[in-house]
Amino acid sequence: MVPGPAPGRKDEPYAGASAARFPRRRTGTSRAMAPRSIWNGTITLGTIAVPIKVHSATESRTVRFREVHEPDGARIEHRRIGPDGEEVPYDDIVKGYEVREGEFVVLEKEEIAAAAGERSRLIDVEEFVDADAIDPVFFDRTYYLGARDDGDAYRLLHAALRRTGRAGIARWVFHNREYLVAIRPLDGVLALHTMRFHDELVDPGSLDIPAPSRKPTEREIEMAGTLVESLHADFDARTMLTDTHRETVLEYLDAKRHGKARKPEPPKPPEETDDLLAALQASLEAGGKR
Amino acid sequence: MPRTLWSGSLSFGLVNVPVALVSAVRDLDLHFRQLRAKDAAPIEVQRWCTEEDREVPYEEVARLFEFDDGGTVIVTDDELEGLAPERTRTIEIDAFVDLADVDPIYFDHPYLLVPAAENDGALRAYRLLLEVMGRTDRAALGRFVMRTKEYRAVVRAREGALSLTTMRMHDEVRSTEGIDTGAKGRAPKAQLDAAISLVEQMTVEWDPTRYEDRYRERLRKVVERKRKGQTIKVPEAAEEPAPVPDLMAALRESLEAARGGGGRKASKDGDGDGDDLEGLTRDELYERAQERDVPGRSSMSKDELKEALS
Repeated sequence: MVPGPAPGRKDEPYAGASAARFPRRRTGTSRAMAPRSIWNGTITLGTIAVPIKVHSATESRTVRFREVHEPDGARIEHRRIGPDGEEVPYDDIVKGYEVREGEFVVLEKEEIAAAAGERSRLIDVEEFVDADAIDPVFFDRTYYLGARDDGDAYRLLHAALRRTGRAGIARWVFHNREYLVAIRPLDGVLALHTMRFHDELVDPGSLDIPAPSRKPTEREIEMAGTLVESLHADFDARTMLTDTHRETVLEYLDAKRHGKARKPEPPKPPEETDDLLAALQASLEAGGKR
Repeated sequence: MPRTLWSGSLSFGLVNVPVALVSAVRDLDLHFRQLRAKDAAPIEVQRWCTEEDREVPYEEVARLFEFDDGGTVIVTDDELEGLAPERTRTIEIDAFVDLADVDPIYFDHPYLLVPAAENDGALRAYRLLLEVMGRTDRAALGRFVMRTKEYRAVVRAREGALSLTTMRMHDEVRSTEGIDTGAKGRAPKAQLDAAISLVEQMTVEWDPTRYEDRYRERLRKVVERKRKGQTIKVPEAAEEPAPVPDLMAALRESLEAARGGGGRKASKDGDGDGDDLEGLTRDELYERAQERDVPGRSSMSKDELKEALS
């Protein structure tokens, strides 16, 4: 799914420089404070109403660049150009859906918004499912939900979901688009995930992956299994989901600015494994490390 | 076969498996083109150099980084890719973890890995990884660089293929600290018991095919109607219910309704008779009401809609 107007991601090419080690002064985002809410509404469950506000739970910390023209370093602008080469001002643009080649149905903003439906301030929980039964491929973006009142119903829902291991399934209209969402407890708060629809996922079976003429032997599978076990570790996001490359990039940029950058090397292609058994044996002897 | 987005080698100990990365997500959204209002001529978005006032081919686009003190430096993609030469070619597996321990909040974009070579060695190595991971609930944690950005990824066996999902970094996930949960204090036991019963009562088996992208469908209908020259009515937003003063009473009421109804499951188990209104959500009922042009439908409750449609 491509969440159109949701925050972050591709649609902000000129967001400027922002990165972990060089926090941006101008915006001065404080990470300790709860982010501003981006949506207010009510979760309904039977006749129970839970007034909530939605906060983003994630933020991109990728090193951001601005596009420039290489020879002169001049800023690049994205311009809207008509078929006759004329620039078209933003206010003179409408949206059209191509129903046949070259034939467009023009839609006003409000008409596109009409597809969102009328439940635009409600998140009506229709049913619950076992949260663990949902394959992770279905989860798209995550938001945190905050209470807008004394929170009695909010905490009750949180406690009931925690105790049962269930997630609430609902629809949520956000930025004029309806999403399928799952609501589940995460630490002490309720989290809301937008979900991908089943038909948006490519069926792995459709890939027609060719089978080898000779299957891996039991001995190879066993050895690979031993290798997997030797590399087994408890998952820890703090140490395992860290971006070491970000630092490398920032250091390189800093060095280049001061005229001290080393020349990057061209990549070497890795060797293909010919003898699976020998490679497994050697890996095990090396303790799983390369 | 979907388009290859990256190709390289999946490296597991000293075993290298040549693989290609394809998206596991298909874009089914309706895409709109930007048109010029006066003549509906399609617009093209072009990159223009602000200095020379001309269009710039993509090959001449470089990246400018701005430091906090206003200083700048210009780099090219080739330069950035050269910073981690191995990792742009290799997905290196550093550890195996239990998939259930990884919170879904970290999952970003799902991809599939397919063998990138036709030779038997490559296919066997691919099959070996698939077999081994399919037998345990272990998932491999790897990292690689794609288009100048480093990704952490979880690789696992899913329905006969290796699936790779890129992960959000730990510092890209915000703390839940400061999120308002209202006053302190636990829910009274009687309330919690009733809420648990309600959740249990409303529980169904997770089946993703039960949920269609109704937005996509509605948007398609909007386009169709507009094409036929019909006017499109913007629905009014439904009112937000006020929080109930007596939570326990609302729980009891909801529980009764859930028990009494039970229609959703019944209709699901039935042979899918399309005219069965039981088990339809209010939105689904509303859509049918729209089709039949039921007057006053936008202010009707679920039961009233059911009544009007039957």
